Amino acid sequence: MRTATIVLTAYLLCVVVASTWRLLPWIGDAIPDVGALTAAYLGLTARRQVSPAIGGAIVLGYLIDLISGAPPGLIALVLALTTLVARAVQQRILVRGAAISIAFSAFVALVSGILALVVRGVYRMPSAAFSIELRHVVWVTLATAVLGPVVWKIFRRIDAAFARTHREREAALEGLAP
Amino acid sequence: MTLRRRLVDWSLTGVLILVPALVLRASLSRGTPSALDQALLRITAPLETGVSWVVEGIGGTWSRYVALVDVEAENRELREDNERLRKDLAAMTRKAYDVAALEDLAVVKKRTPADTLGARVIGAPLSPQFRVLRLKIDRGNREIATDMPVITSEGPVGRVDKVYGDYADVILISDPSSRIDVVIRDPAQPATQAAGDTGAIGARGLLVGLGRADSYACKIEWLERQGRPVPGADAKVKVGDEVVTSGLGASFPAGLVVGKVAKIIGDDGMFQSVEVTPTVDVSRVRAVMVLLAPPPPPDPDAKSRRRSEPAFGARPL
Repeated sequence: MRTATIVLTAYLLCVVVASTWRLLPWIGDAIPDVGALTAAYLGLTARRQVSPAIGGAIVLGYLIDLISGAPPGLIALVLALTTLVARAVQQRILVRGAAISIAFSAFVALVSGILALVVRGVYRMPSAAFSIELRHVVWVTLATAVLGPVVWKIFRRIDAAFARTHREREAALEGLAP
Repeated sequence: MTLRRRLVDWSLTGVLILVPALVLRASLSRGTPSALDQALLRITAPLETGVSWVVEGIGGTWSRYVALVDVEAENRELREDNERLRKDLAAMTRKAYDVAALEDLAVVKKRTPADTLGARVIGAPLSPQFRVLRLKIDRGNREIATDMPVITSEGPVGRVDKVYGDYADVILISDPSSRIDVVIRDPAQPATQAAGDTGAIGARGLLVGLGRADSYACKIEWLERQGRPVPGADAKVKVGDEVVTSGLGASFPAGLVVGKVAKIIGDDGMFQSVEVTPTVDVSRVRAVMVLLAPPPPPDPDAKSRRRSEPAFGARPL
């Protein structure tokens, strides 16, 4: 239920971002990767089992594929892999505080962008010149880093709402992995 | 977590990752959205439309109401510019009218065989029906005198009634006190260039203003039907005949078109009485020409006189 709520919220955020960024042409390529942030959060906060987080990331990726016009499966696969990376990171560092949140958001956006490039390369999908793709990844990384803490704060609120004990709730709001 | 559960979890994770990989391969090979894609798009489209509508509404509110901080100052500047440009336009339009009026006067001066003086109309009292009752011009007693005729390029306007200081009043030909000796000209019989020939059909009378507050109409009473009829032309006056100055009375030069016969009021066999609509639209007159002296009498030998030879030395080699 928690994962479904997070996925649904992330999907709504993606729609809002897509609608808002369309009205801001001066933003250009700097579109935050809400999908990557969500996948990373699911990976970071995965409890004992990783498969529910992967499942949530795949569903969200599939929905983003549909609204963004990407080939169905592309972003779903990328987000699933991003969740795995975040899960691996979770066992080594503690993502807590604004600075680390910003840095980790930029990291997951970068990883997601690189993974997308790799997947597209593996599937021999057409792509722009490497410099253009790289510039796009950099702008998306910057935008995601800026928006990351806000998105994660929303997800932590959801986690807190689903907490069974007061201690779990406090931990969720603090950004501690359960 | 037991090893078995961990194995199951990772197996499930592997299977889940395989799903999008296979879906992506299938979608790339198919090229078109699957039935599931289409169904999901159909379900999610209203949500996207709603969110877009809300976001665009907020964006529109922002751009139309909130982000208009500098527009007020810009609006004030544009209003000031607009006001200045309107004033400039009015001044230019007034100048253009003046130039057009002066051009008309130049034409009149060239055409009129008499001493003339241009004058600018500076006032025009109106009747309750918005008809001009008289004109005020900017020429005073050092330049003009009473009873001097006033004309434009379109025809007679009236005569100087009062002169005071640097200004003068002109009564219009539609004023009851105005009297002009006129003849009737058939528009089908144009005047020749010979001096004194007005192309008249012979009917002659005195044009008197009717003094109506709602029109500039004049009338000719006792219009003589006897005269010098043009051979083959009917001496009877018809509606549409032109009324031109006769040149008699030593006031207006001969041949100025005063107006057209608008209505036959009476006809007793010997005399006719007609109503005349003046040619000059007094409400649009901005400059006039005052005739200072009566035109010289027509030269009876003008047609027969031969042009003299140019003096020696002036002939081209």
